[in-house]
Amino acid sequence: MDIHTPLAHFEKVSYQYPHRTDFALQEINLTVRKGELLGVIGATGAGKTTFCLTLNGIVPQFYGGRFFGHLRVAGLDTVDTPIHQLARHVGMVLEDPETQLIATSVENEIAFALENLNVPAEEIRARIPRVLEMVRLENLPKRHPSELSGGQKQRLAIAAALAVQPDLLVLDEPVSQLDPQGAQDVFAVLRELNHTMGMTIVISGHAAEELAESAHRLILLAKGAIVAEGTPEEIYGNVPLLEEYGVRPPQVAKTFWLVRHLLPPGASLPVRLSEGLNRLKDLPRPVHLPAIPASGATRPSAEALITVRDLHHIYPNGTHALCGVSFDIHAGEYVLIAGQNGAGKSTLVRHFVNLLQPTRGEVHFAGQDTRTLSTADAARRIGYVGQNPDLQLFNRTVEDEIAFALRHLHYPADEVRRRTDEALDALRLNDVRQRHPFSLPKGERARVVIAAVLALQPEVLIFDEPTTGQDLAGATAILDITRDLHRMGKTILVITHHLYLMPGYAERALLMNKGHLLLDAPLREAYHNLAALERTALTQPQAVKLAQALEARWQVPLPLLTPQEVAQCWLAEATE
Amino acid sequence: MSVILFQSTGKRTLFHRLDFRSKAVLMLAVTVTAFVWEDPLAQAGLALAVFLACLLGGVRWAYLRVIFLLMTPLFILLLLTHGFFNVEQVRSLLGREQLTYLLRFPENWRLIGGGGLTREGLLYGLNTVLKTLSVVMIVPLVIFTSDVDQVVVGMVRARVPYTLAFIFSATLRFFPLLFAEAQTIIEAQRLRGLAVERLRPWERVQVYARIAVPLILGALVRSQQLEVVLQSRAFSGSPQRTFLHESRLSAADRAVMALALGGMALAVALRLLTGFGSFRG
Repeated sequence: MDIHTPLAHFEKVSYQYPHRTDFALQEINLTVRKGELLGVIGATGAGKTTFCLTLNGIVPQFYGGRFFGHLRVAGLDTVDTPIHQLARHVGMVLEDPETQLIATSVENEIAFALENLNVPAEEIRARIPRVLEMVRLENLPKRHPSELSGGQKQRLAIAAALAVQPDLLVLDEPVSQLDPQGAQDVFAVLRELNHTMGMTIVISGHAAEELAESAHRLILLAKGAIVAEGTPEEIYGNVPLLEEYGVRPPQVAKTFWLVRHLLPPGASLPVRLSEGLNRLKDLPRPVHLPAIPASGATRPSAEALITVRDLHHIYPNGTHALCGVSFDIHAGEYVLIAGQNGAGKSTLVRHFVNLLQPTRGEVHFAGQDTRTLSTADAARRIGYVGQNPDLQLFNRTVEDEIAFALRHLHYPADEVRRRTDEALDALRLNDVRQRHPFSLPKGERARVVIAAVLALQPEVLIFDEPTTGQDLAGATAILDITRDLHRMGKTILVITHHLYLMPGYAERALLMNKGHLLLDAPLREAYHNLAALERTALTQPQAVKLAQALEARWQVPLPLLTPQEVAQCWLAEATE
Repeated sequence: MSVILFQSTGKRTLFHRLDFRSKAVLMLAVTVTAFVWEDPLAQAGLALAVFLACLLGGVRWAYLRVIFLLMTPLFILLLLTHGFFNVEQVRSLLGREQLTYLLRFPENWRLIGGGGLTREGLLYGLNTVLKTLSVVMIVPLVIFTSDVDQVVVGMVRARVPYTLAFIFSATLRFFPLLFAEAQTIIEAQRLRGLAVERLRPWERVQVYARIAVPLILGALVRSQQLEVVLQSRAFSGSPQRTFLHESRLSAADRAVMALALGGMALAVALRLLTGFGSFRG
């Protein structure tokens, strides 16, 4: 494919948001060429979203602020050309699938931009099936967008952008809130659009494995500036650079970087799984069986704290969200609950705090039927940290937020003070105790919510999708807190579909699919059970796939989970 | 919570098939009739008809129940204020001085001495309550049985400026999201050990007041996101646009409009000419 004709040209572009002294973009010089798929990577706050929004003029025309330099897209200056005219040339897909869908049916969603552009109704009717077919939603034109899955919603947003037949499609972190299946579907559609139709695509995000597979070129942003630019091999192969800027490399690149001394001199690192699997043959037979940390031995000795028996839940609209789920959670365990969107994970744990009641079956906490507990009573023993911290903060200071529950439960004043101080210390929030929670960055807001829940000193803590929308540093910071709490003796349950994050934290995995418990096993066993993971549309981390390929090649058991563990096969400090 | 909680899109009833304009005329007719009539019995008939129409149109009983519960304090206030204090207007409407006292304060009580609860005042209060109910219930019947996009098309065809129609439809889309967020915040409070049901009324008010900050901040963020989305989709508020769906009045629409306007005219005429619907105590 010829990808040489310039489509968008940044010339010394810098930008400051109103009332800010720092630059969101700094001296950007870049040309986006027709037919290329450009990935924009960087840690949270690096300027990815601002970069994307400059391409359709939202920055600076909507936000204001100070814009320096020139940016031309399809020959139009993005500062001088009205946004609605730029919209003919630039299609935009944003991060949150919920807020960007505005119509009441799939076809109306696609029609909206075309109606605004005065396209005749007959032409709109002709384009709708075409773009729906491109994103594989051709059977759902009348469906209400809220009834679609997360992946389908993002594909609908892509279809709505494609309908105007733009020169450039820009996607800002389009898969950050999707499960692996949804993310794969979106990237499959993007690759097809790029490869078969030559659509020019700019996509930002943290999805390292998918970007390595799809992008022609990557730019790495930090503090609004481009710090590196090159092919996926050049960027993702430079692991120290990525780690310096807080960006997660694909696991295959990380693994081979750890054993780079074994590769032929001058050889580049593989950044795609297929290449990594091929390159395994360049490596010698593993000389060490890596030290496998013992899985938690809490289950056999400890008593069951939460007992779930034949749990069914049917929502008022008839959705059978849980279908006969049974298991025990023991005191002191760290359990991962994983499964695709709609698998029933959140529905399950909401029974533990009596936010939902079983349609059939029972849930007991410490021997007591949870139906007999009020949510307020259950909350004293089971802390529940929801996904969006902003909907869990409602006090004027961090300190008040943490003391809120204690005061309402009429704890003595000195006890309120003592527990508040303890929670502030545990979550390292002492310096911001008098700040308004909403004045803090997202990562700290999440910590305030955890501290507020922790103040009640619950025995069990449930974290519902705590890593969604976080970059590597944010996700790791939250998971490190869960590990600290686990070491303090708390029972931890984490719901996530980011499997690559959980080794080193969880000991046991419950895999759910369509309301059923597919697998209840130690983490290693679960991660190596490909059949169960595939049934719930989860993807094995690349390190696990590499380990399985090694296992098959050398006929040695290698139940490994992380790049570090795989690399240990050849490193001297490993134990035999 | 589902965003489509407030819509009965699952059902396809007669009301769903009607154009928004004919339903808007129906809403106008019910509102005018409710205001013209002052007889509690006639108002009860109208309110009952609207209630049954709501159920036929698929408006959920759970939603109507919430309306009734939320409005109960207002209804009690209306009954008491009319029952105790609406003496002059009731006398004037009935054309007589003598009212039937169900309860009377002693003459020597300051300010309210000699006054009391009258049967006629209570009935007039009941008329106001039923009037309010009819007007309040017709709104979900019209809105929940209409596709928001059809509402916009219908309004534009009725010569409402497109920007205004869009703001109206955006509000309809926005409200369920805000409601869902409010529910999530209340849930978060319960998960902090707060038993709202055990609180005293003023404590509950304090607790609910706390919802406002995250809700307003969330709404501001959402409205900004919405505007970014709209502008990215070439929305400029210009009336120079096309519509995917046509808005055509069917025979049923014309019949409903004729019946609604005819009924409204009849209600006004009967009131003026025969006194039907007048307050008779």
